[in-house]
Amino acid sequence: MSAQDSGVALQKPSKPFWELIKVQGKLVLREPYSIIFGVAMPIFLLIIFGIVPTFREPISSDTTMTVFDLYIPILMVTVLIMIGLLGLPIPIVRDREIGWLRRISTTPISPTKLLAAQVTINIILAAVGFVILAAGSILIFGMNIVFDITGFVLSLVLATAAMFSLGLLIAAVAPSQGAANGMMMALLYPLLFFAGVYVPMQVLPSSLQTVSSFTPVGAAVKALESSMQGTFPSIIPLLVMTAYTVFFSYIAIRYFRWE
Amino acid sequence: MLNTENLAKKLGKSNRINEPTNRKSIITVDNIHKQYGATIAVDNVSFSIAEGEIFGIIGPNGAGKTTTVECISGLRVPDSGSITVYGLNPRENHEEIRKIVGVQLQESSLPPRIKVWEALNLFASFYPDPLNAHDLLESLGIDKKRNARFKQLSGGQKQRLSIALALIGNPKIAILDELTTGLDPEARRETWTLIERIRNRGVTVILVTHYMDEAERLCDRVALINHGRVIALDTPVALAAKEGGEVHMQFVPSTPVDDKVLTALSGVVSVEHRGNRIVVAGSGDVTTRVLYALSKVGVQASDVQVKSGNLEDAFVKLTQANDKIIKREVGPQ
Repeated sequence: MSAQDSGVALQKPSKPFWELIKVQGKLVLREPYSIIFGVAMPIFLLIIFGIVPTFREPISSDTTMTVFDLYIPILMVTVLIMIGLLGLPIPIVRDREIGWLRRISTTPISPTKLLAAQVTINIILAAVGFVILAAGSILIFGMNIVFDITGFVLSLVLATAAMFSLGLLIAAVAPSQGAANGMMMALLYPLLFFAGVYVPMQVLPSSLQTVSSFTPVGAAVKALESSMQGTFPSIIPLLVMTAYTVFFSYIAIRYFRWE
Repeated sequence: MLNTENLAKKLGKSNRINEPTNRKSIITVDNIHKQYGATIAVDNVSFSIAEGEIFGIIGPNGAGKTTTVECISGLRVPDSGSITVYGLNPRENHEEIRKIVGVQLQESSLPPRIKVWEALNLFASFYPDPLNAHDLLESLGIDKKRNARFKQLSGGQKQRLSIALALIGNPKIAILDELTTGLDPEARRETWTLIERIRNRGVTVILVTHYMDEAERLCDRVALINHGRVIALDTPVALAAKEGGEVHMQFVPSTPVDDKVLTALSGVVSVEHRGNRIVVAGSGDVTTRVLYALSKVGVQASDVQVKSGNLEDAFVKLTQANDKIIKREVGPQ
């Protein structure tokens, strides 16, 4: 009855979590929305912004900062917005809607592991996006970035935590894929706006800049900006991102359903 | 597509066990009760299941069948009452139970782009001593589809994959919920032979269904659940005989017969003439008695047809009677 009885050498599959990572990873490659919008689109924008000549001129006479320079942290946050709103929650909501999460929960493995695998895959995707954006802007477009490495990594980690916990919140409260798509669309444009994708915040009135700095994306852009200019970010954007992470995670954990 | 018919004939019916009392009882459900708000889903249900049995749980839609098996698999916790599965409590021994119980869920599907072998490999990694995925796919007749994506499979293939996922962990118990709903007749029959083969491997099967032909064909015993209660529990044959109503026997007599010859027989309820045919309704082995009585008066019966009550008749009769009782208890609405 078991493989031993039938005399066939059993190829014991590897650890469950690694199998989940492999399968979820393949599914992401076969449904590459998060790759297209989360990684490819920001890279496409980087190339466009790098080619437009006026983007390469200093924004004012008292600085060497160009529009292109301003956009690098914004594009990094765009990666997080896309993956947080689309790549992370939509497959989770789908897997719940079709009963796959419930199916997993009938096995000795907790479906929490499936969520962990999903988060891991999306962290890898985001990291790929960050690396390409940073490397591309430095190596191809000759951008002069002075990293405060500790501040940069901390800012990225907190920004990722804030946007991923928002994604898990959507996964927790959206009753269906349609609802999750609706929530995604409702959040997408305001978040892109406050991250400065349409126009960098520096160009806008100070009142809007203040509002932006208290959104998770505005705080993330601010923290990344300073850490890419060689200074450790101020404490306020870091606290803002931490607060959102705690708040979103609390709601996500509280309301998450397996079926 | 699937050459299991012969195998099933060889293996399936031959060692069918109709006396589960001789065997070790491995699942005991004792007085479980489950309520959702004001709705009582399961109302003091008790039964026990023997090792190697195919145990059917039948009943109308919404009768509490699924909730009952979900309590056995540990997916739900009953409000009161107790369940033991191989001596374990599903509530306290989650992980242990999940290693020995394979579950096929009603209305549960896989991510559309997952491949057959990927899903099986994934599930195999969840268990300490899984079956060989290749052998399992072969025995389920979907080995050729191992590289297909879930969304490319036909309904029957999806169901077979779902069974494969329930079995890959080498479970002692398989719970199959509404297994053949939505399948075409051929795929249903193929699935039935599969279930018989699963049992022949020593797996105890709990089969939830609302198809009576399925229960009649496969199950050693069935529990009929209505409004959350077990209203009958027996072998399908016994239920059909006891509750399936009268045997209807009809024949063409070689010469006219006096009705009194037939009505005098024990067990005969009615005698009717339809053209040149005589229809005798009765209970038990009325057919034998009628034929014997006819031969004694020198009449030959030709074109004899016997229709005995089946599980479906029993099902309808029992649930309707139960519904009436419940209406009386609740009062007119």
